[in-house]
Amino acid sequence: MRLLSLISSFFLCFILHAQKQHYQFESIDDNLLKNADAVVRFDEMTINLGSIREIVITRKRIITILNKGGNKHAVAYVGYDDGRKIKDIRMNVYNKEGVEIEQFKKKDFKDFGAVDGGTLYSDSKVKYCPYVPIDYPYTLELTYELSSQNTGEMPPYWSFLDDFSVSTEKSRLVINYKDSSLQPSIKEKNLEGFEITNASSGNSIIYEGNNIPAFKKESLSPSFDKIVPKVLVRPINFSYEGYEASINSWEDLGIWMHDNLLAGRDELPAGTVQLVQNLTKGIEDDLEKARIVFKYVQENTRYISVQVGIGGIQPISAIEVDKVKYGDCKGLSNYTKALLKAVNVESYYVHVEAGNDKVSFEDDFPDLSQGNHVILAIPYNGDYYWLDSTSQIIPFGFIGDFTDDRKVLVIKPDGGELVTTTSYANEQNLQFTKSICSLAADGTLKGQITTVSTGIQYDNKYFLEKQSEENIKRFYKSYWDNVNNLNLTNYEFSNQLDQVKFTEKIDLNAINYASISGSRILFSPNIFNRIRNVPIRYRDRKLPFEVQRGFLDEDQYLIQLPEGYVVEALPDKVQLETKYGTYSINLEAVDGKIKYTRRLLVKQGYYPKENYSEYRDFIKQISKSDTSKIVLKSNI
Amino acid sequence: MIRLKLFIVLFFMIVAGPVSAQEIEFGKVTKDELTEKEYPLDSDAEAAVLYKYRNTFYMSGAANSLVTKIHKRIKIYKKDGFNQATEEINLFNSRGGDESVSRIKAFTYNLENGKVVKTELDKEQIFESDLSYNYKQVKFTMPNIKEGSVIEFEYKITSPFIWNLDDFRFQEEIPVKKISAQIRTPKGFNFKQTHRGYLNFHPKVSKTRDARVGMDVVVYSYDLSNVPALKEEPYVDNMSNYRAGVMFELVSIQIPGVIDRHYSQTWGDVAKNIGNSSEYKKELDKTKSFGDIIDPLLAGQTDELKKTKLILKYVKENTEWNGVDGKYFQHGIKKVLKEKKGNVADINLTLVAMLRYAGIKANPIVLSTKDNSIPFFPTLERLNYVIAHARINNKDYYIDASHEFSDINVLPIKDYNWGGLMVDNPNEVWKHISTIEPIVSANIHAIKASIEADGTAVGTYQSRRTNHSAMQFRTEVKDKDLSEQIEQREKAYQGIEIDEYTLKNEKTYEGSVSESFSYNYEKGLERIADKMYIQPLLFLKMEENPFKQEKREFPVDFGFPVNTKQIVELSIPEGYEVESLPKGVVMDMPDGMGRYKYVIKSTGDRIQLSTTFEINKAIIPAFNYKILKEYFNQVITKQAEQIVLSKITSDETTSSSEKR
Repeated sequence: MRLLSLISSFFLCFILHAQKQHYQFESIDDNLLKNADAVVRFDEMTINLGSIREIVITRKRIITILNKGGNKHAVAYVGYDDGRKIKDIRMNVYNKEGVEIEQFKKKDFKDFGAVDGGTLYSDSKVKYCPYVPIDYPYTLELTYELSSQNTGEMPPYWSFLDDFSVSTEKSRLVINYKDSSLQPSIKEKNLEGFEITNASSGNSIIYEGNNIPAFKKESLSPSFDKIVPKVLVRPINFSYEGYEASINSWEDLGIWMHDNLLAGRDELPAGTVQLVQNLTKGIEDDLEKARIVFKYVQENTRYISVQVGIGGIQPISAIEVDKVKYGDCKGLSNYTKALLKAVNVESYYVHVEAGNDKVSFEDDFPDLSQGNHVILAIPYNGDYYWLDSTSQIIPFGFIGDFTDDRKVLVIKPDGGELVTTTSYANEQNLQFTKSICSLAADGTLKGQITTVSTGIQYDNKYFLEKQSEENIKRFYKSYWDNVNNLNLTNYEFSNQLDQVKFTEKIDLNAINYASISGSRILFSPNIFNRIRNVPIRYRDRKLPFEVQRGFLDEDQYLIQLPEGYVVEALPDKVQLETKYGTYSINLEAVDGKIKYTRRLLVKQGYYPKENYSEYRDFIKQISKSDTSKIVLKSNI
Repeated sequence: MIRLKLFIVLFFMIVAGPVSAQEIEFGKVTKDELTEKEYPLDSDAEAAVLYKYRNTFYMSGAANSLVTKIHKRIKIYKKDGFNQATEEINLFNSRGGDESVSRIKAFTYNLENGKVVKTELDKEQIFESDLSYNYKQVKFTMPNIKEGSVIEFEYKITSPFIWNLDDFRFQEEIPVKKISAQIRTPKGFNFKQTHRGYLNFHPKVSKTRDARVGMDVVVYSYDLSNVPALKEEPYVDNMSNYRAGVMFELVSIQIPGVIDRHYSQTWGDVAKNIGNSSEYKKELDKTKSFGDIIDPLLAGQTDELKKTKLILKYVKENTEWNGVDGKYFQHGIKKVLKEKKGNVADINLTLVAMLRYAGIKANPIVLSTKDNSIPFFPTLERLNYVIAHARINNKDYYIDASHEFSDINVLPIKDYNWGGLMVDNPNEVWKHISTIEPIVSANIHAIKASIEADGTAVGTYQSRRTNHSAMQFRTEVKDKDLSEQIEQREKAYQGIEIDEYTLKNEKTYEGSVSESFSYNYEKGLERIADKMYIQPLLFLKMEENPFKQEKREFPVDFGFPVNTKQIVELSIPEGYEVESLPKGVVMDMPDGMGRYKYVIKSTGDRIQLSTTFEINKAIIPAFNYKILKEYFNQVITKQAEQIVLSKITSDETTSSSEKR
């Protein structure tokens, strides 16, 4: 017994001694623990460019996860596909004291298909380490090596911070290139104010960042991508699935895309050419023809994605889409382009970074990896009309908040060009509501509402047209959830596609809308449009804030009061003028009726953190005013 | 799967016989079907299954197999229905063999210029991928889909897992016009069938000779028409419990002169089966070496409940659940204690073994969790979980040590699902028990508020939560840092501004958890002219009815019963007096399902309100939905009633002086 314990303690000593206890929790600087769920202790990516067809990437990444919320930053996986091979992958797990507790080798990793919802098939895969953490904090050390012939697939940037709520102790990017023809181009973003140095020399690019504290996500803060310190990387001379490129401008990139990946993909069977020509017969105007073609695409195709090999950037041919009548954004846009060509309308294939968050392509940094979506641009009278062929219901020429107001790459046969898409400005995003209601002595409300929405507000509403009755009822019950017992008795929509205008006509009633207090009735005259969420208060706001899209709401309600009641008190008029927007309400009691008018304009803007509490006050005052009540008193 | 060690010689391959006739022939899509604009019985439906045929039967050959043939015809009415054009076939594979799909034939039909145009699915557009460790997926989407298209496909699934009959599903997310499902089981192989859902249906039963197995077979045919779509609703334990369908379970094989064997027929049998597994018989019953751990832990303790608590504490502190359910060990007791993590069985069976070592009458209870669906009939396969039971001084204690904040008789909510099976090997008692019910969670929220003349309220808030409410609360706050928690609270409580936020007892699993803060509240108080209107519950007021739909088909599952008390103490500003108060009220739901009590009074410049909100049943049946909805409505209406304060005007003083 004694001997045994001696041996085991010796053994333990040996292990402890052999362990380089580099990653104890204790050694993390307090500054890096603030607002952090995880701390990147060391992250280094080395990119070796051996030739135009040889890229080898090695990565060593050590991260300490502080709590359960940090697990999502563990990133215990690596993506790969047929072109990108994982040569080596390993993961070690250390406990709080920095002692190794588990080891995973390549065979211990599991394979999964990296497929999202709308995808029918993709050859992208993920190697994933099935580690279940037992105790916090813990530390993961992941190392791997990837190799590929596609130098065009070089990681497009290196971030010195992972995400909100993650800090970085040390982060390094190293790029070694064999000769100057392989030297990638670099662009620094948001590096000021951080401990980040550039130690590039000879045939190496080296960036190192140290001790970068975590950002905390705050309400209305700009997207992480916009504020994170990072360096963008793009290859100038590269190879992609066998196609070689030499890119010095967006123009070059456009030509390369066009000549190699798009040319010849817009052929169509004669029957289909005939069909669209018949559809547009007798029409001269290009835009009118395009409308008809776009309608044909919307009625006859749907979005399904199949990603195999070069399919990541090359569209499936128009012939193929014509056969199956489905495709992804590339395939459908290219198909529309082919149909337009068949009726002699010129259109261009466009790369765009789509999403509610407006992300522009980098001005002087032509990079194949920018963008996640494809749309079309139709030149017309010196302007562009934008078409998203993946939506079957979007109006012609309308792009909504998915691709609006951002720089995109328009690919023309004679070169690429960065162009800003349509922007929907403040007052254009109008919602105008008119309502006639009556209130009964028992508190029941009855009313008719007509709302007209345009611009981005159209985008928020027009989907309703195609919804089931059940979903529509559910929508309004939650849209007007301040009205208890809401009962929708009738609804009617009119979707004016050509004007991008959506009209809702609603009839409803609600028992107990007003509350009765003895001989008095109290109710809020703002029934249908309340601002209810006041932005969160911060004691110490750190980040600037952004209102990405402005809007204008106008409301006019006429409310018939119950007989036998007189107005005892009306809320005061309100008039707010700020740089964030304006707000006014006005109430008049005439003839046993209340006339309520409200106008709210919120402006698009990007503001420093110092303005936040002022902005919050603006919204807070609106929110309070929106709930203010009228008091009626029985005159019997 | 049933561990059927004894495999019987029963299938003789003879000649392929006639296949049962389908009523609706593949490929015979009609013009009427193509021109139909909406589903007649549900104009909202984005698509409908016009016809589904499913035939499951046995084949004998080099290896016996279970074959399922599917034929499906779907009409697409609206764009939202386009996803119905994608078919996913999940295939199970394991060491026991691989399921496979073959003979996929699929067409899309459209009406173009009055003519029926059909497009065949290209075989190259059929994709296969690995879904997970045990599942492969074969997936395809139909070409040429438009509003109005009819699609039709058929395929055959061959499975080596011949005793595992998949459930028949008669109801889908879209309506089904006609479904015809058939299963042929060899005579003597008795499968119990259990129906599920709220529709009524019965099979036709006949006997015939099936040449494919060379035996007499029993044919069960289900024919249903006009099956409505299954629609999601809130507060449902698990939607799949309510989908119309049939489940199959092999209960016996009886072939005179050859075999007479019975499988799990009663819950007692199932429990005994589990008890007789080597995992329970050897690993659980025989592991007794806890001396080094338990002896010092319990030194001097005589009270059995105290011992149980100490052992539970030890297990909780020394094991971590790896997220895997199970009724059998994944690692075994020794490995769990060494590596400090394991599946549910590892943790809870270790607990049972330790309790037994300490002389406490403890046993496993095997059950099916809510996410695993209701155990409709006695079956081993559908049980996925095990907890511990202890009987001390004639009282029952249920324990699940796998959850960080669980305690004795406070189990994760998913555990409360129609009881469980007691596996008491030492006393040879194996039985179903239905008494595992969540206990009431009693919560108190108390606010003190001083109403200021400017129409704001400042004050303090304190709360205490117990049992499952405490467990929920602890789980919720666990991974949040303080400022995040405060922000979340400010948002949930109508934008109040919070200071001095404190939590007590939130990191342990025992006892109640408390929350307190001071606040500044600006909403809900109206100062109009010389009056002030106050909703006395301030930010504790229930804002909206969670039950908005008119009708409900499924029971409402609250998880556990609650009794929430709210106490408000208001002081009114100087210069104001109480003009009117809402009336006190008591509202009862029938059958003691719930009660709301509202008592309010004022003395001088103070107003006191006390309310009690009770939901006394964890589950409220669907036929009581209207009552429940109305109960919430009335509570909300009551809570919206206002106190009216009025200014004590100088006029009054003058008038009173005049009187003098």
